[in-house]
Amino acid sequence: MIVFDSLSNPSNYGEVFKQRTFSLLLKSLFISFVAASFSTIMGGFFAFFLTKTTIIFKNFLKPIFLIPLFLSPYILTLSWVDFFSKFESGKSFIYSFWGVIFIFTLIFTPLSMLIISSGLVNVNSKLEEAGLMMTTYKKVIFNIIIPLIKPSIISSFILVFILSLSEFSVPAFLHIDVLTTEIFTQFSAFYNYDLAIANSMILVFISISLLMLERFYLSSASFITMGSKSQNIKTIELNNLKYFIFSLYILYIFISIVIPVSILTMHSCLDTFYKAFTLLKPTIYDSLLYSGIGAFVLLVFGAIFAYMSEREKFPAIDSVLLITFTIPSSVLGIALIKFFNTPALNFIYSSFWIIIIAYLGKFIFISQKLIQSSIKQLPISLEESATLVGANFFTKMIKIVLPLVSHGLFSAFLISFIFTLGELGATILIYPAGTSLLPIKIYTIMANAPQSLVSSMALIILLITMCLLGLLFLGNRMLKWR
Amino acid sequence: MKLFLSSILFLFVLGCSKNESNEVVVYTTVDQVFSQPILKDFEKQSGIKVKAIYDTEETKSTGVLNRLIAENNNPQCDVFWSGDPVRAEILKNKAITDSYNPPIASDIKDEFKDKDFNWIGFSARARVLIYNKKLIKKEELPKSIFNFSNEKYRGKFAIANPLFGTTSFHVASWFSVLGDKKAKELLKGFKKNNIIIASSNGDIKKRVLNGDIWFGLTDTDDAFTAMNESNDVDILFLDQDGIGSLIIPNTLSLIKKSPNSKNAKKLFDYLLSSETEKKLALSCAQMPLHSGIKVKATIPSLDAVVPMKIDYGRSAKKLEEIQHFLKAWVEDK
Repeated sequence: MIVFDSLSNPSNYGEVFKQRTFSLLLKSLFISFVAASFSTIMGGFFAFFLTKTTIIFKNFLKPIFLIPLFLSPYILTLSWVDFFSKFESGKSFIYSFWGVIFIFTLIFTPLSMLIISSGLVNVNSKLEEAGLMMTTYKKVIFNIIIPLIKPSIISSFILVFILSLSEFSVPAFLHIDVLTTEIFTQFSAFYNYDLAIANSMILVFISISLLMLERFYLSSASFITMGSKSQNIKTIELNNLKYFIFSLYILYIFISIVIPVSILTMHSCLDTFYKAFTLLKPTIYDSLLYSGIGAFVLLVFGAIFAYMSEREKFPAIDSVLLITFTIPSSVLGIALIKFFNTPALNFIYSSFWIIIIAYLGKFIFISQKLIQSSIKQLPISLEESATLVGANFFTKMIKIVLPLVSHGLFSAFLISFIFTLGELGATILIYPAGTSLLPIKIYTIMANAPQSLVSSMALIILLITMCLLGLLFLGNRMLKWR
Repeated sequence: MKLFLSSILFLFVLGCSKNESNEVVVYTTVDQVFSQPILKDFEKQSGIKVKAIYDTEETKSTGVLNRLIAENNNPQCDVFWSGDPVRAEILKNKAITDSYNPPIASDIKDEFKDKDFNWIGFSARARVLIYNKKLIKKEELPKSIFNFSNEKYRGKFAIANPLFGTTSFHVASWFSVLGDKKAKELLKGFKKNNIIIASSNGDIKKRVLNGDIWFGLTDTDDAFTAMNESNDVDILFLDQDGIGSLIIPNTLSLIKKSPNSKNAKKLFDYLLSSETEKKLALSCAQMPLHSGIKVKATIPSLDAVVPMKIDYGRSAKKLEEIQHFLKAWVEDK
């Protein structure tokens, strides 16, 4: 409704199609393209060795790798600014668009790793073994594995591209003017909602165009790789290479995790740790509960929409979900207020369900995409065979589809949980008065708290999330053993 | 399946709020570390449950304001506690606030109240210069904003983004007092002297503490927090021989058609009390506007500062007029 109001005002078009908007757009596109490329390449590299080789400490590396996703981009940026400020040329690097690309790459490489891993896991080992009978493993990688995991690679690129394009806090803090900072200025300094929304439509248009390109590129190809029997993942021995590859992981972990966490630790101290914990304690239960419910709701709806898009051929679903994903969180928040803040729907607006709805609007596209790329690899003949023997829709889902795409489901739940736990942009506008959530608490306290307290709070959130992640991975492993 | 649906129904019912009659909802742009203790004290004393929404560093005091504007058709908030008069004026202009002039505000000067009583001011901050004592001596500091263009300060000073927060009001006050032409020249002079534009007052505080800049403009509460963190930092009130320092009162506004109007007035009166002003003076060095309140010597007093003589309502309107100029000024690299 508010989008329609904005688009029906012709004066907004004149404001949108200005030279400054185009130059901001080009800068945003460049930053997003490079960040998505770096993240996908590095994420793919790390995913491959974690999934397909006998690299040492594999089970330890995978959850550790996800840590940058748990730190809010704003706090991560604060740490890196502190780090680079210690060097002569560091400041000019970090306060540039290369600084933005650097931080985006660090944040989103774990996401790429997770997405591409779930694709690699579903590659039928028989295809690799057949290839190995004819050629070297290097050629098997480039001619068999990579083509088969194209949906995951492209999903990873598109997701990181769109996440980078719509991210605001990192470029704002580093004083890099991009389209999202312009949208924020229109929204928050000029209270010009119409123009902010009109500018947001540029982001939506680009994202939908990417999606259509993806559909066109992948539509004619087959990525069915799963066999009819449960399969083992083919792994190769690294032999002499294993320590070199392991050292690359350690180097990456040192850069992406050890340095920022060390900076945060240096700034915090025991006294502030206790004070930070006292401040955060009332928010922990609600945050974990709402994120858990949100991730579950996202999983269910993500699975439904992924299946409808992939099997029932409703491509419009992707575009609709993409709109709520791409538009800035503040615009989404305002839209939710306008729709739900009525006497009739007040029972939802004044309850925690409005937060869950905000999570749904913001992240359903990610959940749907992650599950969809797994469904793509599933042969439809399995479901057709089940139909022939009399299985109904629910039986097919529960006994065949969902177990076979379980890696995609797990990734979707995990990513949804992590993202909802850190979500601020839309939540800040709609959270019911008297509710307190972790990211809102840390950002409200940050306004006038010493650095040591803010760093302590960030570390506590990191520890809580790591513990939960450990439990999730353990739970997943136990389910696999059963 | 039945168990699953029952669980969902249970969670749904659990989540849907019941209407509580003895509560009050307050939205505030004042930093949570300072406002929350005051609200908790009111809750203890009155027995009325306070539900608060705070603003964040990232949204630069606009999250709460945008929410109030968007909720206009079905207000959820009873009282708006703002850190400056600009946001209160914006809400007044959008007919979101109600008029209320309680007896407790009678000894607050008229210049700190809206003429129609859509907002009442209390506990003020001032705009000050915060500086790093290790990098620059007090005698070398500029005594006026007009000195910022001095060559010796090139690239060594900062202000927060003038499109947001109290900095936007500060810059608007220069336009009100000096006139458009002089104010624009002043800002252009800053740019020629390579002024650094920080993301927020908190960023200014951080940069001065870290020694990235010699000095910057910020509010007294940020400055005093910095002084509590480090002995290397001090403050200076600018233009004491000239146009004076901008005094920024907190403001309170009642929201029209709010759900708990009776409790809203009780909270309003409590926040306007001398007791609250004493607490804010202690926690964040805010200057009481009620007469006769004794505070520590370390806390600045209105009597000791030459204030800038401005009309807050007119300055808030001036801000709207100069927004486009400020945006162009910020973007001009």
